[in-house]
Amino acid sequence: MGGETSEAPTADEEFEERTLTDILDPRGFGWLTRLGLFGLLLLAVLPALQGYGFLGIVVNSTLLANITGAMFFAVFAMSWDMQSGYTGEISFGHGLFFGVGGYASAILQAQMGLDLLVTIPLGMFAAGIAGLLIGFPSLRLQGPYFSLITLVTPIIIIGLFRFAPDVTGGATGLFTETLTTGAVEGYVVALALFLGALVLFLAITRSDAGIVLTAIREDELAVEAAGLNPAKFKLFSFVLSGLVGGLAGALFVHTYAGGFVAPSDLLALVVSIEVIIASIIGGIGTITGAAIGGLFLFLFRVYIAQVDLTVPVIGVPIGEIYFLLFTVVTLVVLFFIPEGVITRILVRTRQRAAAREEEDGGGGGGGPDLATDGGWTEGEPSNLERIVATFTEQLRAVLPGFGDDP
Amino acid sequence: MANDGNRGRQDGTSRNASSNRRRFLKATGLGATGLTAGLAGCTSPSDGDGGDGGDGGGGDGGDGGSGGGIPDVIRVGALGPAEAPFGASILNSAELAAEEMNANDGIGGADVEIVTGDTKDDPGTARQRYSEMTSGGEAVDATLGIFGSEQLLALLGNIADKETVHLTAGAATPEAPQQLKEDFERFKYWFRVGPINATFLGDSLIQYAKNRFEDMGWERVAFLAEDYKWTEPVTATINNRLEDEAGVTLTSVRRIAEGTEDFSPIYDQLESENVDGAFTSLAHIGSTSLVQWAKQQRPFGYGGIHVPTQLPSYYAATEGAAISTFSQTTATPTSEVTGQTIPYAEAYNEAYDGFPVYSGYSAYDAMYMLKEAVESAGTVNSDDIVAELEGLSYTGTSGQLEFYGQGEEFPHDVKYGPEFAEGVYFQWQADSEGNGSQQVIFPDSLATSEYQSPPWVQ
Amino acid sequence: MAVSPVTVGVNVLLLGALYAVVAIGFTLIFGVGGILNLAHGALLTVGAYTAYYLVNAGIPVWVTVPIAGIVAATTGVALYKGMLKKVADNPVSVLILSLVAGLIVEQVFLVLEGAQPLVVPGIVDGGVAVLGTDIELNRLIVFAISWLVIGALFLFVNETKTGQAILATSMSRKGAALVGIDADRVFTLTWVVAAGLAGIAGVFLATFQTVTPLMGRTPLLLSFSIVVLGGLGSIRGSVIGAYLISFLDQITVQYVSTRLAGVSGLVVLVIVLLVRPEGLFGRELTEG
Repeated sequence: MGGETSEAPTADEEFEERTLTDILDPRGFGWLTRLGLFGLLLLAVLPALQGYGFLGIVVNSTLLANITGAMFFAVFAMSWDMQSGYTGEISFGHGLFFGVGGYASAILQAQMGLDLLVTIPLGMFAAGIAGLLIGFPSLRLQGPYFSLITLVTPIIIIGLFRFAPDVTGGATGLFTETLTTGAVEGYVVALALFLGALVLFLAITRSDAGIVLTAIREDELAVEAAGLNPAKFKLFSFVLSGLVGGLAGALFVHTYAGGFVAPSDLLALVVSIEVIIASIIGGIGTITGAAIGGLFLFLFRVYIAQVDLTVPVIGVPIGEIYFLLFTVVTLVVLFFIPEGVITRILVRTRQRAAAREEEDGGGGGGGPDLATDGGWTEGEPSNLERIVATFTEQLRAVLPGFGDDP
Repeated sequence: MANDGNRGRQDGTSRNASSNRRRFLKATGLGATGLTAGLAGCTSPSDGDGGDGGDGGGGDGGDGGSGGGIPDVIRVGALGPAEAPFGASILNSAELAAEEMNANDGIGGADVEIVTGDTKDDPGTARQRYSEMTSGGEAVDATLGIFGSEQLLALLGNIADKETVHLTAGAATPEAPQQLKEDFERFKYWFRVGPINATFLGDSLIQYAKNRFEDMGWERVAFLAEDYKWTEPVTATINNRLEDEAGVTLTSVRRIAEGTEDFSPIYDQLESENVDGAFTSLAHIGSTSLVQWAKQQRPFGYGGIHVPTQLPSYYAATEGAAISTFSQTTATPTSEVTGQTIPYAEAYNEAYDGFPVYSGYSAYDAMYMLKEAVESAGTVNSDDIVAELEGLSYTGTSGQLEFYGQGEEFPHDVKYGPEFAEGVYFQWQADSEGNGSQQVIFPDSLATSEYQSPPWVQ
Repeated sequence: MAVSPVTVGVNVLLLGALYAVVAIGFTLIFGVGGILNLAHGALLTVGAYTAYYLVNAGIPVWVTVPIAGIVAATTGVALYKGMLKKVADNPVSVLILSLVAGLIVEQVFLVLEGAQPLVVPGIVDGGVAVLGTDIELNRLIVFAISWLVIGALFLFVNETKTGQAILATSMSRKGAALVGIDADRVFTLTWVVAAGLAGIAGVFLATFQTVTPLMGRTPLLLSFSIVVLGGLGSIRGSVIGAYLISFLDQITVQYVSTRLAGVSGLVVLVIVLLVRPEGLFGRELTEG
């Protein structure tokens, strides 16, 4: 389902079967995909480039560490997009999964002395179960109510942590062991996770399951009418999101965070919100948007804090108010580019390509665009808008008089 | 990539008084409330590689594994939460000391430069700042500061790996010297100048209780401690020794969770226990507790260790709610712990328009101890500095400062005792015009006044 | 030697009123305009800091109460007209934007004043003994004012034309339009009232506790619980919900653990959402 419009195939058209090899055939990649692949390649070889500088950026352990953090964050964002972007059930507390994964692993290790190679998978499964538990209410509840539950659950967890600080380290955090030593090892782990998650999510969302999920997001009743059980797919997406998010959280704690976990790292509202922002800015429902948005947002946050500028009128150095600026910038972007930056770029690119093709008198399509959009064409409502429309409908059903009928 | 918060320096010698005052009077609460960047960066403890652009080994400008001589510029990193008084005191005191030194031939002729790192009271952020200031061509030769035991513990590994001397001012956990006991060679670069560690703080509280509770009329006492690392040894000490040694009844021991907003239920319970006093150990949190105690005019006294109330402007800031609260502290601006104490406090006040809190005294002392060590060693080589510090006996603002040795219980920790560093207890008392002042009430040798009960308590 | 039930009861009574004032604003916005205003807590914070600044300028606390209400009301209307109204078709955008707006307000205060708690003195000082318990006089005053405000609101909504317009709009926009009610005007008015209430509640809260940039978060969560429990859009439901939550919270804190402050409300929220999302009072609207 790459690159084509989202119109359902008509009765006459054959639904194009594409095998895995078709999808992966590099000759069919658009230039944006190639750019993305180049970026990935760069990420992969970065540790080997240590000591070299380029345009004033030196590749040293601090840079690697920052990118490591960014990759973890990107995985967090992708897991959110996989769930909220594709099912349309917006989770406002995705930090729950990262936190469950990270804390389960840390607590099992610190309190029971289990080995990290045991606790990390356990953390992952715990988060998967959390995904399942959160998934169930989504089946019964309308959109905003469900979102409320997701918002509130991590806060309850933090409250429980305060209740039992001896086991959980309370609000100030828990020390545990590290899996890796050194910036390079941490980077490698993060890279493996990032690539793995990226490939996994892309494969799923571009596969039949992904098509169904997108369809559910658009019109659940139609999917039911087609004989499929939306609940199964929704739960699947929740569990998957939880598993990956939990794995990422656990690995995060034991590598990048140096064996230390605190609620402010994973569970706090800030994290959940930043993940949403990253995905929306990148382009909700595209996976790649979340990945790029996540990387960018994290690095932006790290580097803006180091910029040695002073805001003119107020006389305050940027470093002190970067979060404020960050949120303001977010607001502005959300206001003006609601469909997401990546999506907008893609659309423009495709428009230009289409225009050029027309000039050339047509010709075969440029091959399917692999993995760069969620099937969006301009003129049609964006993913975000579609999700929102569903949300609105559900809201109307909830409120007595909102909208039209008394 | 070192964080150079040198705002004051840009306009020559004069400081931007108002921005510093803002920095001083502002305070941050807790990193754990999510104010900090959620996924604040940090490097993993051991950088196997050189970590810098091309430099080999641990080499960075000025610090040589090969030792030899004092460089032209000596850089010292100061870490602390810049927005909080505890942190601002550290950073400002370091800068004050550096200025004084530079006016007097620096350290062995070298210019002293301070590199500040804002930890935002968060371990992850602290790690990142530390890593930034200890990497690259302009890496610092030593670091000092850090408020918060969680932050210190998070940094111990990094300090060990960078093999850079660190002098703690503002974190009391005994877990730090514990690491030295277990692996001295690895962690020997760590020293603590102040405060006295939490085990000793507990002992100090017991000494105070023994000597003063009877006069204060405290027979039934509840213990309130914030739920942070540093209060763990203190709580243990209170549990084990308070009743026997001070001859009082300990009605309850409560560890208060960070983020507690309403203390009324707790105080209701204390009232039902009929306590004469709430004995406290509060640092990160404590303002809301104190303010509600005063507003609700609870019929018991309040004090012990309470870091917010140490702030010299606290009485005014809380509209007098701090009245009759007392706290242990390293020193106060008017206590003559040593001949150095008051001159330092005055100098600080002149430069920053306000007096320092406890961590400032220790940070200032740390700078001068570093200076002495470097000058005696004739080099900025870390191992040599370590050797000098171990043998040093320095009259600082907080007392006669010496460090315990390798074989002792708290290696490289500041020595505790009447001949060394002990701290004082002060109380907020009001004069006839309603102005509050911090009066020393213990020990006798430094006392300027006696304890007074809260005005609404009979 | 447990705390006497009288003390607990008094706490419940006093706090419940404050919680109600906090929650009513939230439910009004949702009931009338369908917006879950996640910046509600921030409006409270605005009120609290306003009071702090005014007190520091020498103005007595009781005077700051209405002023804070006005400042918060202005902020709320600005938020609505300047931002939320423009994306009103997208509830998701509204949610996220209101959340981010709330975060921005918090950050502004954090930058301006730092995170150390600030003090606002009580409206009056001192305590009084009632039924054998010492009660902070300030809390009694707040209780009284809160109920006056609730009562006034009740009357306003039921007896005055404008109030009834609000009621009508919350029931049915189309129907309201049919009788000539301008939904947007009504909604703006609702924002004024709701944000004003938040501002006042913020001052009260400041006198109970201290002023910090994040102080609005707990009240926001509280509002969720209360309003879901009591039924979205119902004033009566909010008051009853507020007392229920207050009761639950005090019991938990006094007899289970002080560390669980606020948690019980959230747990209730989750349970209610799972079991009976329309709340205790269903869709039954206000006092029609």
